[in-house]
Parts: sequence; C-alpha cells; structure tokens
Amino acid sequence: MDLRWQVSVESGRVVGVPAGRVDETTWEAFTGHLTAAVKEAAANGAPLVVDLSGLDYMSSRGLRALTIARREAGETVAITLAAPNARMREILAISRYDKLFKIADSVESDI
Amino acid sequence: MLVRFWGTRGSLPVARPALAVQGKIARALVAASGRKFNDELEAHAWARNNLPFHTYGSYGGASSCVEIEGADGAFIVCDMGSGLREFGLDAARRCADGHPRVYHFFMSHLHWDHIMGFPFFGPAFDPGAEIVVHAGHPDAEQALRRQQEEISFPVPFDWLRARFTFITHQPGETFQAAGLTVSMIGQHHSHESYGYRFERDGRAVIYSTDSEHKLDNMESEKAFEHFFRDADLVICDTMYSLGDTVSLKQDWGHSSNVVAIDLCHAARAKRLALFHHEPTYSDRDIQHMHAESIRYEELVRADRPPLEVICAYDGLEVRV
Ligand SMILES: [Zn+2]
Ligand SMILES: [Zn+2]
Repeated sequence: MDLRWQVSVESGRVVGVPAGRVDETTWEAFTGHLTAAVKEAAANGAPLVVDLSGLDYMSSRGLRALTIARREAGETVAITLAAPNARMREILAISRYDKLFKIADSVESDI
Repeated sequence: MLVRFWGTRGSLPVARPALAVQGKIARALVAASGRKFNDELEAHAWARNNLPFHTYGSYGGASSCVEIEGADGAFIVCDMGSGLREFGLDAARRCADGHPRVYHFFMSHLHWDHIMGFPFFGPAFDPGAEIVVHAGHPDAEQALRRQQEEISFPVPFDWLRARFTFITHQPGETFQAAGLTVSMIGQHHSHESYGYRFERDGRAVIYSTDSEHKLDNMESEKAFEHFFRDADLVICDTMYSLGDTVSLKQDWGHSSNVVAIDLCHAARAKRLALFHHEPTYSDRDIQHMHAESIRYEELVRADRPPLEVICAYDGLEVRV
C-alpha cells in the first residue's frame, strides 16, 4: 500500500497532505516527509498543518511519527492535525492523541 | 496447549474495596428489577447473559502469573507475581492427584510485581518438588534470595526444600524445556526484560510483558513482528494508552493496546490477550479499554485477517 504526500505553503502556513495509509509498510516515508515539512515550516517561520482528509487511516507508527515531528519542531513550529475522517477521529481518540495534538475540523478552520 | 491466567494486573496487586462491590450489586439489582429468580442458579444464568463483565465479573487484581498446560506433564509458569500463590494451592491439589511435581518457570524479569508471589509458593517447601527457573537475567537467583532475606521476609531461601536449578538463556537462542520449544527476545525495560515464544505441534504462544516499544526505535519492531509471527496467542503488556507512552509515561517501560494490535497485525497473529492492567483502572475502565481495542483492530485491519482481541482476567483459560 503506498502513501502519497503533497506539501504547499498557503496563507502563511505549510500544509502537508498525506494520502493513503500510514502503517508498518509506509511509516518511514511518512516520517521523512514530515521531517522535511517541519524543516520547511521552521525556515519560513510558519506553523505546520497536516491535512488528514486524504488519509484512509494511520496506525501507531504514523501517530508516533507525529510525536517525533513535534519533538523536532520544538517551540518553533506549531503542528495542527486537520480534517480527520471519521475513522481517523476514532483512532485519535482511542490512542488519546486527541489530548496531545490540536485537531481542527478543516484546514480552513485552523487559520 | 491451555493457557491459564492466575494474575493479570501490572505493577501492584489490587483488591476492589467495598464501594466497588456495592456498585456492582446495585447495578445488577437495577438491571434485574422486576424479575424473579427461583434460585441462585437461575440468577447466575440470567446475569451471565445480561450483565456486562465489569458488573457480573471482575478482572481480578493479582499480579503477573500465567500457566501453560499441555507439554510433557511438568508445570509451566510465566512469572511469579502474586497470582502464583493461588497457582501453588491449585498445583498442590493436582499433585495430590498424581501430577508430576516438576515446575518450569519462565521469568520476564525480576521486578517486584513479577516475583512477589514466590515466598508464598507452597510447592517450594516440598522436598519432592523440582523447580527449574529459566531467565534471561543471570541475577534471577539473587533476586529470589534477596526477597527472602530477614529484612523483608521471615523464611530464608535456604529453608526451602525443593530442588532448584537456575538457567540463564541468551536472547535469540532456541531451547527445549518441559516438552516445548522455547525462544527468547530482549525487551526494553528497566534492568531489561525478556519475551518468550512457546511452540508445540505447530502452535505458538507468546508471553511479552513489561516491554516498551520506543518512539525513537521503531525499526526494532521488525524483530518483534518476526518473534510474534503467526502466533495463536500473544499475551502483551498493554498497560497504557499510546498517548501516555509517548508523553507522561515515556520510559516507564510499558506498552499500549494500540502498539500491541499493530505488532500482532504485522505478525499475522491470530489472537491478542491484553495484559498487565494498570492498577488504578476499575473493572469498568478495563472493559472500556478492551472495547476500544477491539474497535481499533477493526479500524486499522484493512485487508489483513482479523485479529481476535481478548482481555486477560484472573481465572481466564484460553485453549490454543
Ligand atoms: Zn510488571
Ligand atoms: Zn517491570
């Protein structure tokens, strides 16, 4: 199963858009994209929004990659997770990641 | 093989106070109001089918101790938590009926919650008993002896009458014990811990407790996926939520339901038993965590075969 990734800079924010699945077969690619996006956000002095709308699901590898990204981001880059589908919302709740990350209903609503 | 759970609680044994029992009774009475039962048998039958496990039952509170039956006739026991006391009483009953007085222990590690049942293990006083302790730790004997020193316990180790053998194994090594093929894997935990894979007649049971799967070392999980491969039952430390293991409880040496499910999925294991329950959790909390775990397995299953997620409780028996 592949994972696609697009990144853009819009409205003063870096928006990363993964699509597909993040699981034990794709988490390394996901981590690489996230790390690059954090660097880009830091270089632009911009926050990072991860648009989850194209993501089917993310298992613990992807969630933990988000934690790694946040550690790399430190104080300089705020990370928001936006537009999770119903399945992702449940995963975020069961893992308690909804307590660790700011979650926005849509990419726009986080502006 | 038959797996029997004698202790399933993590870190510290617990007993529910009167208030918790009263809550169960009140909930049961409300649920049954208007009904008439002619005897206790009828009441049991109704309760079993109609009340949630947290009301009609309990996950128990003894610390880690799991028995595996069905190899060459010797007793096989993982860890010596407080559940070992009950196991010892039951084993004595079975020995009176002719069961061989040979015990093989497999130690995940030597933390107190995993050895505290040993001073209360009756068969250790039986001069006809043979006790073999398998461990990855060379200091397993020292841990048991130290626990019986006078400052902690009135009966020194040397007063025990059983014949003891301590065997230290290396991770990665495969060995035969009590009619089982056993392999061991090193786990991340304070003073190290070890997981075991028990195999017989094409069936495999994994005992993997007190094992943290760390954020910055996810590559190492391939080794666990291989260790768990095609297992019929994986008993896993699922003490905390994933969120807790990467924040407040990072480096506390434990894992989550979510990571255990992901490892079992990748390993194509058939059944996962949630284990080493958090001592502050009520029966309701544990049942809720179990329901969430079943749901998570569905959410991330995709095209993999279904993984059955069960929740271990003191007294549970699982046939493999
Ligand atoms: Zn423990
Ligand atoms: Zn421990």
